[in-house]
Amino acid sequence: MKKRKKNRNVAIIGIGQTSLSSHKEDQNQVEMVQEAVINALQDANLTINDIDCIVHGNMELFEMQFAPDLWHSLGSGARGKDEYRLTTGGTVGMTLVCAADNLVASGLYDTVLAVSIQKLQEGNTTGGITNMADPLWFRNLQTGALTGTTATELINEFGEERAKRAAMKYRIMMDKHAMLNPRAHRRFGLEYEQGPDLAATSPQLVGELRLIHMCSQSDGACAMILTSEERAKKGTAKPPVWIRDHIQAHREETIPNLFGYVKPEMTHHYCARKLYERNGITDPVEYFDVFEMYDPSAWWAVDWLREFFLLKGDEHLQMLERGDFDLDGRIPINPSGGVIASNPISATAMLRAAEAALQIRGDAGPHQIKREVKHALASGFGGTFWTALMMLEKDLDWQEVENG
Amino acid sequence: MAEYFGATVADIFNTMPKRFKPEEAKDVDILIGYEATGEGGGMWTAHIKHGTLTVSKVEELKGCKTTVHADAETFVGVTLGKITAIDALTSQKLRVVGDPRLLMTLLPKVFVPFTVIPKKKEINVRDILATTESRFRPDKAEGVAMNVGYDLTGAGGGQWTLQIKDGQCKVREGFADVLTVKLIMDAGVYAGMMLGTIDGTAAFTSGQVRIEGDMMAAAATGRFFHKYADPGAQEAEELICLRVTNAIDQRFASGPVMGKWFAGLREKKFLANKCPECGRTQIPPREICAICRVRVTEFVELGPAGTVTNYDLVYFASPDPLTGAGRDTPYAPIYVVLDGSTESEAFAFELKKEDLSRIKVGARVRPVWAEKPTGSFRDLIYFEME
Repeated sequence: MKKRKKNRNVAIIGIGQTSLSSHKEDQNQVEMVQEAVINALQDANLTINDIDCIVHGNMELFEMQFAPDLWHSLGSGARGKDEYRLTTGGTVGMTLVCAADNLVASGLYDTVLAVSIQKLQEGNTTGGITNMADPLWFRNLQTGALTGTTATELINEFGEERAKRAAMKYRIMMDKHAMLNPRAHRRFGLEYEQGPDLAATSPQLVGELRLIHMCSQSDGACAMILTSEERAKKGTAKPPVWIRDHIQAHREETIPNLFGYVKPEMTHHYCARKLYERNGITDPVEYFDVFEMYDPSAWWAVDWLREFFLLKGDEHLQMLERGDFDLDGRIPINPSGGVIASNPISATAMLRAAEAALQIRGDAGPHQIKREVKHALASGFGGTFWTALMMLEKDLDWQEVENG
Repeated sequence: MAEYFGATVADIFNTMPKRFKPEEAKDVDILIGYEATGEGGGMWTAHIKHGTLTVSKVEELKGCKTTVHADAETFVGVTLGKITAIDALTSQKLRVVGDPRLLMTLLPKVFVPFTVIPKKKEINVRDILATTESRFRPDKAEGVAMNVGYDLTGAGGGQWTLQIKDGQCKVREGFADVLTVKLIMDAGVYAGMMLGTIDGTAAFTSGQVRIEGDMMAAAATGRFFHKYADPGAQEAEELICLRVTNAIDQRFASGPVMGKWFAGLREKKFLANKCPECGRTQIPPREICAICRVRVTEFVELGPAGTVTNYDLVYFASPDPLTGAGRDTPYAPIYVVLDGSTESEAFAFELKKEDLSRIKVGARVRPVWAEKPTGSFRDLIYFEME
């Protein structure tokens, strides 16, 4: 793939979130959007008059509300402004940041507000996800985002004991991170000693995918404000975080094509390989200081770490077992607690970029990494195997690589 | 008794009969056991049978189809919705032995949700009786003439008579000469019944209320009055939750390529199409090969038997998008590379339920077809192991 030609650099200058929970009976969707937007504007010390364009994202299939941006404009401030609505599945939130970046980089707009919202309690998530399957064939088989196939594969590859231990180690590590994040939805206070008991007794959803391994269904909204280098250099309320590059890929194929005798390259691996290649990154584990990964289940997370870091054999398990992915480890994964802790689907992928940016700014809160964070990676995921991967930088000093 | 979120575990069970919706439980026959541990806990059973409910406090849980276990705080929290059930289940603070779907499906259907009843600081029977005349509904008491005596014992108690006659109701202190019925109970029990914290039928059954005289008349009085509303209770914010069920009638055109696939099913054949460039056999067939970006027109028959490459043994009942009903679990979609297929082109379908326990990667399977195929996904019933 040829190098992307970026017209000008783009910075994240405002970040706003709502708390994430399954109990937002006291707020409707408009109020959630407004809360996130106000928080982002305050964070950037801007008013809605400073925003040139709004990009709105929501997975309409879940709440079954067509054109939700019309309703949400009461909270987003879109009236009288250019607005675009995007719906790309689990990746929505990350797609919004990519689109906002492209809109600013193109020169069409100077300052763009991206806002994402999901209120899963008002819809049917598994039912909605099931409807992504081809209506003519396979929809009768689809079980939402639940699958035990990755667990089966990991158990076959690494043995039952080690694979199950790795999934629980990851799950409890995420809970420990979530315990530090006051906004996280599910904070159980799990201890590593509970791993074997939970792995054996937690209710089975699909095969060895158990309730404890799976992400939540949450309500939440997230907003981010992006602006041009020129504007950012005139002064920002908080340190700007620079968007270096991003990539998206998805599979046209039906799901069963992942389960032949020969496995195709996963979109995660493809995106990571291409992104590192065109940015001259040879050792991603060494280069990045944090990775906010879209981790819908502990099994997928363990498997995907190998894909995203282009690792071989059991390197990812060794790193996990050594504690390399802990908050104070070599390359911390999801200081926020990740998707397993909080999953307001459309906002989920944006939260990965938002939390990665907060880590770079150094004001993530109690779950801030103690070391300096200069280079961050954030991923989004959606059906049917759609990957969005983004690189964020603290300093505007990276080397342009000629490889196209 | 220990309170959590403003309620006790006993409150939940005491209000159960009042919250029960018999019309929703006509076809239900189940004994559910509950164990709340720690301070304020205990064991209860709820027997729902053909529209009736029996709640009992028990010493052990025997013969229950499903049992629910939690510490008292989690128990109250989940019941009130202050703690999310799925989170409590995930962290195992709440355990369900048997069918956990009951909590999400049956119980919300047959019970009105439990809410904390705001308690008045002082129970004042006189305050309640002062509202009786204004709560009277003459339209419900047409032609009724009776004197109902209340003998309320204990602190704040006293004796009163409700005189209902000629579409009017009067409350008098003391007993009338002739009483149709007399109710004898503690003043606190009366206040609790009026506030909804104590179930009248349960109080009578347990002997907290004694009835002298016409029992039927006592049971009928409730109808003649609007419910008592505690003026001291905090006015809740008006937060309304609207329930909507969408049913959508849809039709999809297959196009010629999938049309050929469905026509093949009618003859009990798997018709894949083969890319002229890379040679892969696409199943189900697709208009183009997305990798080579060329039209694919050559059809080849695969299988019908094949080899299992992976499978999903599903225990969680997701809704069937074709009907909206919860699926019958467990079931297993399996991934199969059919004989004659290229190696990365797997096919998926459901496995015969009887074969669930034997399924493994590498197993050989064959299709079982409908007797009279019509050209739809229903033509293939399932795969069974050879």
